[in-house]
Amino acid sequence: MIHDSLIRERLVTGDKTASDVTRDISRPILNQPTSAWKIGFTLSVVFLAIFVVSLFYTLWTGIGVWNINKSVMWGWDITNFVFWVGIGHAGTLISAVLLLFRQKWRMSINRSAEAMTIFAVVCAAMFPVFHMGRVWVGYWALPLPNAFGSLWVNFNSPLLWDVFAISTYFSVSLLFWYIGLIPDIATIRDKVKTKTSKFWYGLFSMGWTGSTRSWARYELVSLILAGLSTPLVLSVHTIVSTDFATSVIPGWHTTIFPPYFVAGAIFSGFGMVATLLIVARKVMNYENYITIGHLEAMSKIIMVTGSIVGIAYITEFFIAWYSGVEYEQYAFTNRMFGPYWWAYWSMMSCNLLAPQVFWMKWARTTPWFIFTMSIVVNVGMWFERFVIIVTSLHRDYLPSSWVMYSGSLTEIGLFLGTFGIFFTCFFLFAKFLPVINMAEVKSILRNRE
Amino acid sequence: MGILDKNLSLRNRNKILVGVWEDEDALIHAAEVLVHKGINIHDIYTPYPVHGLDRIIGVKRSRLARVAFLCGTTGLILMISMIYYMYVVDWPINVGNKPVRFTPSWIPVMFEGTVLCTAFGMGFFFFWRNRLLHGVKNDLLDDRQTDDRMIVAIETTESMNQSEVIEMMKSNGAVETREYVNGVQTVI
Repeated sequence: MIHDSLIRERLVTGDKTASDVTRDISRPILNQPTSAWKIGFTLSVVFLAIFVVSLFYTLWTGIGVWNINKSVMWGWDITNFVFWVGIGHAGTLISAVLLLFRQKWRMSINRSAEAMTIFAVVCAAMFPVFHMGRVWVGYWALPLPNAFGSLWVNFNSPLLWDVFAISTYFSVSLLFWYIGLIPDIATIRDKVKTKTSKFWYGLFSMGWTGSTRSWARYELVSLILAGLSTPLVLSVHTIVSTDFATSVIPGWHTTIFPPYFVAGAIFSGFGMVATLLIVARKVMNYENYITIGHLEAMSKIIMVTGSIVGIAYITEFFIAWYSGVEYEQYAFTNRMFGPYWWAYWSMMSCNLLAPQVFWMKWARTTPWFIFTMSIVVNVGMWFERFVIIVTSLHRDYLPSSWVMYSGSLTEIGLFLGTFGIFFTCFFLFAKFLPVINMAEVKSILRNRE
Repeated sequence: MGILDKNLSLRNRNKILVGVWEDEDALIHAAEVLVHKGINIHDIYTPYPVHGLDRIIGVKRSRLARVAFLCGTTGLILMISMIYYMYVVDWPINVGNKPVRFTPSWIPVMFEGTVLCTAFGMGFFFFWRNRLLHGVKNDLLDDRQTDDRMIVAIETTESMNQSEVIEMMKSNGAVETREYVNGVQTVI
């Protein structure tokens, strides 16, 4: 028999009914944009403009406007690529892995996390694409028959695996997100008044009526997509890590990279989800949907994955020492005490030490504090990629090839600019689509056991 | 049998008796009672998935999982053939004089291709079977069926005692009952 749970805390507070959910979640879509939205959107567009200018300068003049040099051939760009791909992992993790584990708290946050995934992957894709230099021949990375003889792409190369992994991840995440959106777009379609809105929401809801037959298939498809996306998420960051791990650069060729990168990706992804949702719940008055319970659950995941990443850092050191390989040992000592010590220690303190505060219940349940911590996590994870890339490359086997590297103004502009892309997309999403999955939230209003 | 589920359209049907519910538990109970009395429920429209309703009204288990498996197998075969052709048949690359044949380095691309074909193949059949297409006119029985109301649709037959069915719906928690003929609804 179905009955209400006496011990489990409610996932949605405030005694909401189904129509309250529709009203609350569709309010930003049906009403005029608020001034908070306008300010945020304008700021994002300013950053987007920085991206466009930096990109134009790069394309017009050439990759030489970046400070990458001989031996540090991957600098800010690949750091940013891995940073954004990592952020893009939480969305599918929340919707897929937590769906398989029947974690119902995911329902209030999965929509915005999936949107974040898609926008983050778009940002990530910018960097390897433009790092190619001649972006107009970027399609050479695809296995297409070409006019230059029977030359095909190299299936032994992790860089090619990346092409397949990232494009598959992006398309499957988009499909997953869109299928999940259809019932909610239908709800909006039946609420909007103007002819234009009715047309667009009608077009994208594709005639959804909420028939029991459709729901049964919808749930089955969601489950199978979740089952597919789970190994997909793991494969994507594993493949990103093999970009490094299959090389023979000291500091890179370690077998621990795949699990370590996946944990790091989940860590940074949840960091970004927390950053976005703590602001969104405040600005859009969604405190009853994204409750302290949700924030606490996310904080716990941040703490666990942060600790996993920390153990990976320490294991790398141990193995470098234990291997007895001089170059490997030097690479790691150089990370800690070399010229980039500040980057290394920023990474260590942000990723390993800082999240340990979440052992305290106060820290896990105080929104402003979690917000601060989420920023710390994002900074830390950017430094992690910077440390891995730059400290491993800047001192080659020959001391005569030793160089220093710092990002040029254009590289910094491109990085800041991707925040413009990300937030512009996110603000548009928050204005035109429901940021919380209404249909799923309606199904958990009663605290069933 | 066609792929498109014809049950999803309400056009060219006999008179439909419509019952409106506002409570999930009452709806499940009412559906059970109606089916138990031998009434064939055409469909139930809900704003969110109500578990168990599909089994009560006799919707067969979807075969989309099998479709997904077939799409996945097709994807895997496609990827293996593609890599084999490019890498072994058309332009073998000599890497340290090693024999050119299947290596574990093919696996990532094979895996990604399989996932891509499974997801999009299944997605395509999901849209098709569910009559989901840009521009499809939606057959709504109630403006609030995507908001908070749950609608039961019973297609009438000649042998059906309509007033008895309506009475049964009312006594089992329906807040409103209507009849639907060729797109026009009247409250009864």
